[in-house]
Amino acid sequence: MPSSASNKRHFVIVGVLVVVMTIVLGWILNSVLPLPEAGVAQAATVDALFRVHMWLIAFLFALVCVFMVYSFVVFRRAKREDEGDHFEGNTTLEVLWTAIPLVLVVVFSFIGVRTLADITAARPDELQIQVTGQQWSWMFAYPNGTTNAELVVPVGQPLMLEMTSKDVLHAFWVKEWRMKQDLVPGMTTHIHYTPTATGEFTLACNQVCGLSHTNMYAKVRVVTKEEYTAWANEQALAQGVQPHEQAIKLDLQTASN
Amino acid sequence: MSVPLTSLALVRGLIGYIVGFAVGMAIVLLGRLVLGVEPWFPEAVYVGGIICAMIAFLLSSGVMSDWLKWTRGVDTPMPHGSPAGRPAWARYFGIDYNHKVIGIQYGVTGLLLLIVGGTFALIFRTELAEPGMQFLTLQTYNEIFSLHGWVALASILLGIGGLANYLVPLMIGAEDMAFPRLNAFGYWITVPGIVTLLASLLVGGWDSGWTAYPPLSLRGAVGYQFMFWGVFAIGLSSILGSLNLIATILMMRPKGMSLFRMPIFCWAVLATSMIQLTATQFIGVDFLLLSFERSLGMPFFNPIMTAEGVNIGGQPILHQHLFWFYSHPAVYVFVLPGLGIISELLPVFSRKPLFGYRWVALSSLAIALVGFLVWGHHMFTSGYQPYLRVAFMISTLLVAVPTGVKFFSWLGTMWGGRLTFPTPMLFTLGAISVFLIGGLSGPVLATVTTDLYLHDTYFVVGHFHATIFGGFVFPFFAAIYYWYPKITGRMYNETLGKLHFWIMTPAFWVMSIGQMSVGVLGMRRQIADYDPALGITGGQIAITFAGFAIAFSILLFIYNIFTSAEVGVLAGANPWRSRSPEWQIPSPVPEHSFASPISVVGEPYDYGLAGSKYVAMAGAGDD
Repeated sequence: MPSSASNKRHFVIVGVLVVVMTIVLGWILNSVLPLPEAGVAQAATVDALFRVHMWLIAFLFALVCVFMVYSFVVFRRAKREDEGDHFEGNTTLEVLWTAIPLVLVVVFSFIGVRTLADITAARPDELQIQVTGQQWSWMFAYPNGTTNAELVVPVGQPLMLEMTSKDVLHAFWVKEWRMKQDLVPGMTTHIHYTPTATGEFTLACNQVCGLSHTNMYAKVRVVTKEEYTAWANEQALAQGVQPHEQAIKLDLQTASN
Repeated sequence: MSVPLTSLALVRGLIGYIVGFAVGMAIVLLGRLVLGVEPWFPEAVYVGGIICAMIAFLLSSGVMSDWLKWTRGVDTPMPHGSPAGRPAWARYFGIDYNHKVIGIQYGVTGLLLLIVGGTFALIFRTELAEPGMQFLTLQTYNEIFSLHGWVALASILLGIGGLANYLVPLMIGAEDMAFPRLNAFGYWITVPGIVTLLASLLVGGWDSGWTAYPPLSLRGAVGYQFMFWGVFAIGLSSILGSLNLIATILMMRPKGMSLFRMPIFCWAVLATSMIQLTATQFIGVDFLLLSFERSLGMPFFNPIMTAEGVNIGGQPILHQHLFWFYSHPAVYVFVLPGLGIISELLPVFSRKPLFGYRWVALSSLAIALVGFLVWGHHMFTSGYQPYLRVAFMISTLLVAVPTGVKFFSWLGTMWGGRLTFPTPMLFTLGAISVFLIGGLSGPVLATVTTDLYLHDTYFVVGHFHATIFGGFVFPFFAAIYYWYPKITGRMYNETLGKLHFWIMTPAFWVMSIGQMSVGVLGMRRQIADYDPALGITGGQIAITFAGFAIAFSILLFIYNIFTSAEVGVLAGANPWRSRSPEWQIPSPVPEHSFASPISVVGEPYDYGLAGSKYVAMAGAGDD
């Protein structure tokens, strides 16, 4: 083993180990932490950035751990009276490890801003649904005034959820839909989704809201456009109103296909 | 020697507390009766009781006696040592102005609360091991996880108070703190605070978690009032304690000890105290406003909508701003002293100077400063103005820069050293590994895009427990093992210490990584039960087992520190061959720590530099 702390061989060995550990760890992180299936178009952006973050974590973890564990092994004290090499610091190194993270912060801020703009953007022709939370249930109101305890939406249709609460804070979270948003009494909050996967999902309240917060669930059904228009018409009929605009449009689209 | 119980300040204070509570309740009841309103309104009656109880505690314990005498022009001497005719232990239950006694009082109370808070965690952890409700009701679950939060945070604040009070004067060679009576007051006001906080369980607890978001915190049991006022008292202690520490560090250093020649822990305490002194008021005000809204009906936070949909009431999000303006910087209050401990111990056990002393010192100040600008990252989903998300994302990511400086400096300190691994060093290294997990899981939460998914899931739970264990709990244990011989004069049991480490550290890794993975899979935080369809039952069982392993290892620690005080081998003045001033005096530290004033003649961490000296003791020989 090389003895002097500034011997280049140390740094070559550590460098190789950092690369190997980054690859192994990155692979493990991206398989131990599997995100649930994605259910909206916006999820692709969130998931991609999550993966980038996992690689960053893998690299930084490897960097610190390899240097640390290597020191444990190589720079272990042999004799009681031994003292370490005397160096008090290195300004070049300090500047470097301040500046490089700063650059990374700028890069990640930039990516963060771009992706945020992407996932919060309004899409044309959105279906607006009013979501109301109260202890401990959910209610969904469609543009024509029909209301329902389940959220039923057509696949591929951009949505804008307008949310408020009747009592305390709640939060809207369908894990396959990724982004969440608080419901605040006295104000309206918004969130945009474009469902891409059909099926049944669970909406769970994600802001502690009292006794039954744990069980404040609602069912979310993403259905085909045909199924949706049939459902919307049935609801309109049952509640004595006209079908809403998007439902009529979808009806025309599916009829002309 | 027998000691009548009522001569102990703690006992007298608690009796005063109970009497004061009854008197306070009676005053409010009578007042309401006179005013002709329904007398029994718990929100007002209990608050009257709490306020009077706290004041009565302080008066009857005697911690304000000297001040009251001063108002009458009576001079009071500064007492030194144990009062004659009383056993040494009685000192720790009484009013004492010696910073070493107060430091132990803070530290032991902090440890006790750590055990209470940890026990709450074990209870609900057991409930969470399997889906379905096993032995708790939803209501008790909510009360216990809520109380776990504030009890654990109180334990950290007191633990930090213990470290800082005991160590700072010794490290700068000072006789005591700048304001010894204020120091005692700072400790003793936490006692009625803690009693009030815990008493909330007797009146129905509270169920909002430690964040107490309104409107939820404006409803529910009167236990909320106990939490608001208990936290207020502990917060007042933080403010007074930090004021005292700043004054001590700035004014009482010996000749030759410039700021950049202080032991690095003092820098960490300085930075932490600056945050505590300036941020704690916000949560104090916030909790008072919540209390007033509940008991006096003042509409600060609860919206009141007119028929036209106009809000003529309060604004729930205002609370979140006030709360996090303290509670985020508070995270740095919790971790900076621990990071200071890491920087303090690494050079000793690496036999090498602290790498980049000035950078490490200033990075603490930088973290404290940036820490004030990031509170809004707790509110990415709150519905506040969208542009704020971007600003808070960038400021939050910036915290990574000074934190990185600390990590890299630690690596630089170890590199090329001559490392040994006794228990304090093991806990220091464990702290680095755990804080690394906590730190690295931060940026993905700081980035709004990914936070919108992870927000309020178990990923966050894993993140902040790793941050706080790595930044406080592990360094706290490292510090106790390291300074144990200085405090007691005897060595702890090394085998038990290592066993403690080798159980606790892997268990904590399992717990953290387990919490983060169940979070990514969809486990929400603060819930009593979860959907088995999430496929996380295995993870939950592992987290629960890890939790019990940690608790078991802490029992070993308690056993170790209690028995070693009697049977441990005599440690001598400086078993670690440290250069710091506190190791140049006998162990245990005498009543007057330094027989004569010290002066600083060199750099603090010049390990390996032949012939270098840090402190010169006037008259005394070298150890």
